[in-house]
Amino acid sequence: MPQANTHQYASFFGANDMGVYAYIIYALDHNIQIQRQLYQPIVPLAHPTAVMLDSAATQLVNNRQVQAFSQSLFLNGGMFSHLSREDRIRTLSALDNLSLDLYLLPSPFQNNAGLIKFVVDALNRFAMFGYYSEWPAYGTTRLNQPNNRKLEYFPLTWQKIGYPGVSFGYRAFRGFLFTMDEVEGGNENRS
Amino acid sequence: MKTDPDVIVIGSGGGGAVIAKELGELGINTLVLEAGPWYGNKKWPEPNKTKGQAKESSDPKDLDGSLYRQQLTRLENDMNDLVTGKFRWGAADRRRTPWYRNIPDQAVLWQSAGIGGSTLHYYSNSPRAFPDAINNEWPIQYNELIPYYEKVEATLPVEFAPTTTKDALFYYGADKAGFSENRTLDVTTIGYRPQPNAILPPNEHLMDPNYSMEELSHMEGCTLSGHCGQGCPYGPSLEKMAKRTTAVSYVPLAMETGNVIFRPNTFVTKVLTAYSSSGNRQIVGVQVRDTWTGEMEEIRAKVVVMAAGCIETPRLWLNSELPYNPWVGRGLTNHYMDMVTGTFDEQTLMDIVGTPSVNPFVGHTSSARLDYPGLGMIEIIGESPGLSAQPLFGFSQHGYNLLKPTDSDIWDLEGRLVGSELEKAMNDYTRTLTLSVITDDEVLYRNRVELDSNIKDEHGAVPLVYYSPSEKSKQRREQLAKIATAILRKAGAKTVHRSDLPPNYFIHLHSTMRMGFVVDTSCEAYQVERLFIADNSVDYNALGGPNPTLTTQALATRTAKRLADKYF
Repeated sequence: MPQANTHQYASFFGANDMGVYAYIIYALDHNIQIQRQLYQPIVPLAHPTAVMLDSAATQLVNNRQVQAFSQSLFLNGGMFSHLSREDRIRTLSALDNLSLDLYLLPSPFQNNAGLIKFVVDALNRFAMFGYYSEWPAYGTTRLNQPNNRKLEYFPLTWQKIGYPGVSFGYRAFRGFLFTMDEVEGGNENRS
Repeated sequence: MKTDPDVIVIGSGGGGAVIAKELGELGINTLVLEAGPWYGNKKWPEPNKTKGQAKESSDPKDLDGSLYRQQLTRLENDMNDLVTGKFRWGAADRRRTPWYRNIPDQAVLWQSAGIGGSTLHYYSNSPRAFPDAINNEWPIQYNELIPYYEKVEATLPVEFAPTTTKDALFYYGADKAGFSENRTLDVTTIGYRPQPNAILPPNEHLMDPNYSMEELSHMEGCTLSGHCGQGCPYGPSLEKMAKRTTAVSYVPLAMETGNVIFRPNTFVTKVLTAYSSSGNRQIVGVQVRDTWTGEMEEIRAKVVVMAAGCIETPRLWLNSELPYNPWVGRGLTNHYMDMVTGTFDEQTLMDIVGTPSVNPFVGHTSSARLDYPGLGMIEIIGESPGLSAQPLFGFSQHGYNLLKPTDSDIWDLEGRLVGSELEKAMNDYTRTLTLSVITDDEVLYRNRVELDSNIKDEHGAVPLVYYSPSEKSKQRREQLAKIATAILRKAGAKTVHRSDLPPNYFIHLHSTMRMGFVVDTSCEAYQVERLFIADNSVDYNALGGPNPTLTTQALATRTAKRLADKYF
């Protein structure tokens, strides 16, 4: 996923600037709700997912598969935030391939290969959809419940890649290769 | 006093709405129960915000095209987000989580609750099955389906997709790769053709600058807006919207008969049966739960039709404790899909299609196809940016291209893209053409929907879904991915990326309640009298590769007639 690196790409707006992490947290925390006797708790996944990433990063650092910087990307950041971008991808990849000690991961991921694969994949998909859909352009209303969001500007990623957004249509008709009238059984039964 | 309906239909999607309309025309009182909201009905002006005053609607005057247009915003996050989108598998109230399915793997299962079901977001692709995949395999013959295909094609209606730039490019590449045009509805040979789509042909004034695009969007006919996946609410009135989800086609027609009532926000939690005098299990009715209030209710009927889709229909069977059948939920197929994306430079495009860009978001989202009986098919996908990036570059069993560059000389990039690779791929978005590989995958007993014995939601044990392709399905997909890449290269693509999608990608689902195993050739359950099924789950196999909806609609039309002949 493209990330903020304003030192190298001054004109580039990364997923981080656009708050895409908040989108991912919301999506992880609103994914699963189950029945427990008389009530239906939501199973929030964002926090355990963050702990899982730190735990996986620690394993890879201890095995010398990745190298930790002494400084975190943000205050009080865990081990995952001490890694370079490429080593963070390496950590995700190790989780994806289940190539670490799954017993050391936090609940509900401990020895739960299916859920690990599902959530690590979802991190990637959510990052893509959060960044390239209109979500960031809901601006200050981004984290409102979905019915109470308002687009505050034209999505920057759409502008950057040349997607014109919601359209009434396009004068792009180049004719038909053939129509139903021109195939056997196509229009015989139509009034 | 209100009387019980003759027939209850569970689900108002591709199959349920069709059988309801057919039954209504035969004078049979039908109640359709839909778990999701109703968009475009005046009785629910804010369907995601409040429960509304009404419980049900049966009067076509309740339908409102301008309301539909206001609710279907055509914005991909608002409409298609798997967690919060208006077209999601979940309750009308979007503050709540989606309804959980446990798929212990990398997975996307894309279904929509709501009047119209998954046809709300489908691309309207309406090809017939391959005759060879029916004949000698199914317990019925292809010829038996033809009159029903014709009826559905005329009703929706189905027309071949108009050509836009991406199609011109695809036809050029397919031709150069040695394929020829296949001018038919009944595909027995390899070839390319426009998608037969349930989308009205473009308005005759579309290219006339005297009409503004906004005016045209209120007139009859497709405007090539590319919003198929977001529902595309363009047209003069609800029942004349360009994109023919059953919400605007079969649902209004069913209401016109005066015999069909639709009730949204109603989740069926149990099918109720009793023993008949002959000792067989037979239908009594259903138990439902209001998704807003949690109120439970029993509704009685002579006949029940399950049309809840390939996951919920077997789940409902199992949660209802209907008789044991080893094939309930078994034999799941999903067309084991993949995607390849070609990127073109401006000069190549100028030479071939006369414009410097492809603009894949223009025109029908999926507008042209290559049919390949024996392997499956290949079709164009031209989605909006988020819905492109997510499956193309964020969803893969290959891993990250950065850590594991492709070892093939066929593709330039493979798997997930991150950082500058992703930025480059998406910056070239307007000059890309994406082809979806759709495999004729084999039915395997191990692929299944079962109940998760550890997890329940408010509707009972949740579905646990498992799919892994056979060796033959893998080989077929590999061959199709190479053919799709050859078409892109012949069309002049400079780089080609392969997604290598994971197996648990569910867009087309079929065959979890197979004809000949769970239901008979009339789609009535062998073990429960007066219980019918009218969704993709009755398919004997994956149809040879073609998109499933039209076949489900043809079968639902046929089932209505058989049901009526037998019980009414």
